[in-house]
Amino acid sequence: MRYFEARVAQNQSLGGGYFRLSLAGCHALADSRPGQFVMLRGDWERDPLLPRAFSLLSVGSDGEAAILAKTVGRGTALLERAGLGERISVLGPLGTSFPGPSADFTDLLVGGGVGIPPVFMQAALAARLGRAGASELLYGGRGTPDLVLLEEIRAFGVGLFLTTEDGTKGRHGRVTAELEARLLVHAGKPLRILACGPNPMLWAVARIARAAGVPCFISVEEQMACGIGVCLGCAVPARSRPFRYVCKDGPVFDAADVLDVGSSPQAPAACPT
Amino acid sequence: MTAPAAATTMAITTGGVAFKNPILTASGTFGYGREFESLTDLTAIGGLVTKGISPLPRFGNSTPRICETAAGMLNSIGLENVGVEGFRSEKLPYLRTAGTRVIVNFFGVTFDDYVGCGEALAKMEGVDALEMNVSCPNIKAGGIEFGTDPRVLADLVRACRPVVKKPLWIKLTPNTSDIVALARACAEGGADGLSIINTITGMAIDVKTRRPKIATTFGGLSGPAIKPIALRMVHQVHRAGIPLPISGIGGIQTATDVIEFLLAGASTVQIGTQSFADPDTAGRVARELGAALSAEGVSDVRELIGALRPI
Repeated sequence: MRYFEARVAQNQSLGGGYFRLSLAGCHALADSRPGQFVMLRGDWERDPLLPRAFSLLSVGSDGEAAILAKTVGRGTALLERAGLGERISVLGPLGTSFPGPSADFTDLLVGGGVGIPPVFMQAALAARLGRAGASELLYGGRGTPDLVLLEEIRAFGVGLFLTTEDGTKGRHGRVTAELEARLLVHAGKPLRILACGPNPMLWAVARIARAAGVPCFISVEEQMACGIGVCLGCAVPARSRPFRYVCKDGPVFDAADVLDVGSSPQAPAACPT
Repeated sequence: MTAPAAATTMAITTGGVAFKNPILTASGTFGYGREFESLTDLTAIGGLVTKGISPLPRFGNSTPRICETAAGMLNSIGLENVGVEGFRSEKLPYLRTAGTRVIVNFFGVTFDDYVGCGEALAKMEGVDALEMNVSCPNIKAGGIEFGTDPRVLADLVRACRPVVKKPLWIKLTPNTSDIVALARACAEGGADGLSIINTITGMAIDVKTRRPKIATTFGGLSGPAIKPIALRMVHQVHRAGIPLPISGIGGIQTATDVIEFLLAGASTVQIGTQSFADPDTAGRVARELGAALSAEGVSDVRELIGALRPI
């Protein structure tokens, strides 16, 4: 993990509020693995105060690293407008990663909306290792604008299955329905599920995986201030101990361990801070 | 040709501890030090204040625990920590080698907790001072914070004082109408220093869900948003002539912010939430403060303490 300054090398609008921000000078991220993330912050002075966490989308040998984001608030709006050469501080690579492609498993990669980066990077890695044929990527969004980078994903050579909730592209419905369909197709084979997307999608994926008896790894999202296990803001309830931390224990967790935030236990005699 | 500015003397002995400079890091924002080992130069800062330690480990509050607000953040972590024995065995060995002063923040939910925890921590080699967090609910008094009632606060400090055989600082809550009364109570109880301020109770609402943004509804506000309040409280206590040195805390991001706190009456400062925004802040500010003061011809950082001029 390193803390350094990078420069915007490219800032590409992908429509629907999505954009790909490429940063030059990220040699320190060279060994990053799919699922790992970075904390990014521009020269924002006092406000917004906190850096933003983004899963890595790609890391090149030329020191250029990219993230995919969707503008949802002040931080992402500032990053969407970041011009070429603008300084961005980078902390990373942080956190855990998906297990590497393995000859022992067929991997079902499940991505929802802006959660595609870890899955995208895993597909790229599978392609590089000659394992694309043993990977399928299930990619869902609300509508067509939520499915981005499709040409690049197709070039990886993994099986690609698209879903939209409004039915404008691919299968009409949620990506979890596609996952159940693919599990039936592959029934009896050694499978793994690797997923990233909105947390409700992840909990649904975890339930499906548990019912099917398939190992499942999910990349979880939670508010965080520091990214390094200090603020303790990004707690998720877990089976193995009361809480696990998205930034250090995750963001990729064994889905059998972490629990939906709704099941969070109430702490006794809570102190205000 | 102008001669290069002479280096400013940055060392200061205050609150019973000799610091190489007045830049410390605030409890809860710097972990147990090691987390920042590769991110800032720990040997360049005066000291660090650890995460608050309780007698036994705690797992903290339900989630969500934090949210960003205008120029700041709200948190309700729940004082999660490794406990006294965890601190001794897992955290202290590194801190003893970190090359900076170590102040251990501690708390309890009863008087006995505070006394036992303070006594145990003060006995540990490598602990330079203790900082008492008094913003915890007093279970016996129906959950009212220990630190909001001057009489309770004086009694608490007095109870800990004989067994804490290290410098004892008290971190005051700003959630009071009379910060001076609380500071005076600490002096009467025998404290060696004050840390001013802890977070300010606040709230944020998500209008889409119509729910509070953090699970406990209310949380502690920190960051640049609270700096004017922190400066005001530091100065009120200083101006009242309370005979204790002050460690100023609240929204510090730059060397200029540090100078403001020193002028208001602080002897040291603590970098808090800004370490999340820029994990190199403490080391950077320590460097920049030295450079800024020598450029201005200040020969000794102590000249600035309370040197605020009348308007």
